[in-house]
Amino acid sequence: MKSDVKKKILLVDDDIDLLEQNKILLESKGYIVITADNSKQGWELFKSEKPDAAILDLIMEEHDSGFVLSYKIKKDDYGKNIPVIVLTSAAYFTGFKFSASTGEEKEWIRCDEIINKPVAAEELVKKLESYFALKEN
Amino acid sequence: MENGHSPKILIVDDEKGLRIGTKRLLEGEGYIVETAENGCEGIKLGTASEFDLAIIDLKMPDIDGISVMKEILKVYPDSVCLIATGYASYETAIEAIKFGAFSYIPKPFTPDELFQKLSQGYSRRELIIERKKWKQEREERLLEVAFEKSRLNTIINSITDGLLVVNKNGEAVLYNPSALKYPGFDQIKIEEYILDKLHPQITELINKFLSSETSEQKSFSSQVELKANRQLIVEATSSPVFNPDGTLAGVVVIIKDITGLKKIEFLKSQFVSMVSHELKAPIAAVYGYLKLFSDTSIHLTEEQKLNYLNRSQIRLDGLLKMVNDLLDISRMELKTVNKEIKEIDLTAVIKSIVELFQIEIKKKNISITINVSEKIPFLQADQDEMSRLFTNLLSNAIKYNKTGGSIVININSSGNYIITEVNDTGIGMKPAESAKLFQEFFRAKNDKTKDISGTGLGLSIVKRIVDSYSGKMEVVSEFNMGTSFKIFLPLRNGNNNTEQKTG
Repeated sequence: MKSDVKKKILLVDDDIDLLEQNKILLESKGYIVITADNSKQGWELFKSEKPDAAILDLIMEEHDSGFVLSYKIKKDDYGKNIPVIVLTSAAYFTGFKFSASTGEEKEWIRCDEIINKPVAAEELVKKLESYFALKEN
Repeated sequence: MENGHSPKILIVDDEKGLRIGTKRLLEGEGYIVETAENGCEGIKLGTASEFDLAIIDLKMPDIDGISVMKEILKVYPDSVCLIATGYASYETAIEAIKFGAFSYIPKPFTPDELFQKLSQGYSRRELIIERKKWKQEREERLLEVAFEKSRLNTIINSITDGLLVVNKNGEAVLYNPSALKYPGFDQIKIEEYILDKLHPQITELINKFLSSETSEQKSFSSQVELKANRQLIVEATSSPVFNPDGTLAGVVVIIKDITGLKKIEFLKSQFVSMVSHELKAPIAAVYGYLKLFSDTSIHLTEEQKLNYLNRSQIRLDGLLKMVNDLLDISRMELKTVNKEIKEIDLTAVIKSIVELFQIEIKKKNISITINVSEKIPFLQADQDEMSRLFTNLLSNAIKYNKTGGSIVININSSGNYIITEVNDTGIGMKPAESAKLFQEFFRAKNDKTKDISGTGLGLSIVKRIVDSYSGKMEVVSEFNMGTSFKIFLPLRNGNNNTEQKTG
């Protein structure tokens, strides 16, 4: 990590096992990880903890989906400056590949990146690092 | 005679000698001969049965020969008549022929003259008969064709698939009423150009033949959405119609409504993707833990390791249960479940299931009460299916119950039904959740259900079993207060439950 201060990452996923695993993996790479297993709790943590980045699962059955939460975060004065990544396994069973390409889509899909599951920890870390590096420059 | 058939001949003459002589002469030649001695008798005989030939004397005391001939021809117009006359003249011959005589014989005649005339007459008679036979056959065939045509029309009009035939110019030639219910086809007018009114995909199917002079006997099909949002999907098939010489006469199009089939197909593929997603989730979770264990850069505490092993086991248990439930559902779908219908005591079945759950019940400190009204009749059902049904219901009642809660089971019979109620004091459901209750994989997700494992298939199985017995079920649930399931199982059921009796 370039910065000496440990970055704080918010992880939101309703599969508590995947949540735990990503937490351990990111912690092993030197991040501070805060977790929520639903978007409501995720939003509360975001407001209280002011994380440096957020990684959200797309499909969560309770409360809002990852897209809605990312929209809320990006609308927030603090949140608009942090990288938000949405993870999805939707591509696996629908064949859809999400990406915000048109203006209208960009209006609604506010996250910086949509990544298909399963995602290797190294890839996530690389993405996060590139966002942080961009910000510091 | 030549062809073995004996011609029947009538001789009407007042001259006895001539009558007898001619009769003898002709009988010697194989004719069947009858004679009449005057006009009256001639008419009587000639109209009583049909003669092939008649030789009628022109001048007779009572009635003249031409009148006799006219009467005979009225009844048997195909009898061939010869007029015999001793006063042969051109005029009488013309007159006789005018009134229908085939020819005339001047009297007296030689046997040769007679045979020659009769032979000519009989040839005519054979021609007439043949023509008559041919005409009759033709009429019969026409009738047959007409019948065939109307039968074909009836068949075409009865087909529920739409049918349209267009000619080489793209004009409608034939259609059936079923075709009219499809958009575009409702504008069909016979002999009018139709291709610009049909869905472009269907026009393309037709043009595949019209635009190329193919003589290949082959069809083209495509699925066409005639009304948006899967409201109406049809399968259109076009096939060429050829002239006898092999040139293209037109194209026949069949329109089949496959909206229902497509809907089922869609639901099936949705089910398959849900299943794969649901199966993949626990695998991914266990796989993730295994990766953590094998990652040397990560240090896990003993407590973490134990926890992750425990979690892996829970996820794999869930996976196994789900696979078993899916197999159950698939067996029910394929109807390979052979119901072993027996008289069973439902109360005993339910009590034995409660026994099996004793450990879980004690663990959560749940009190359980079973109320059975008097004289519950035996139920005609498959014991395994009943066990599976109530195991699922009871397992839910325990799983979603509060610690220290209660379960009340009421069994009674009313009319043709045994009614079983399973009431719990569990977490209950919100109305929106109740509505999705029987959907495969639906599980209410909230803080309270987070730690409860389930496949999301249990109630779907319950519903399938109840349905297969033509039973019904009711659910009443109040969020945070509890849920009540009411199962109605028919005592006598004429159809479904005995369909595959094996026991």
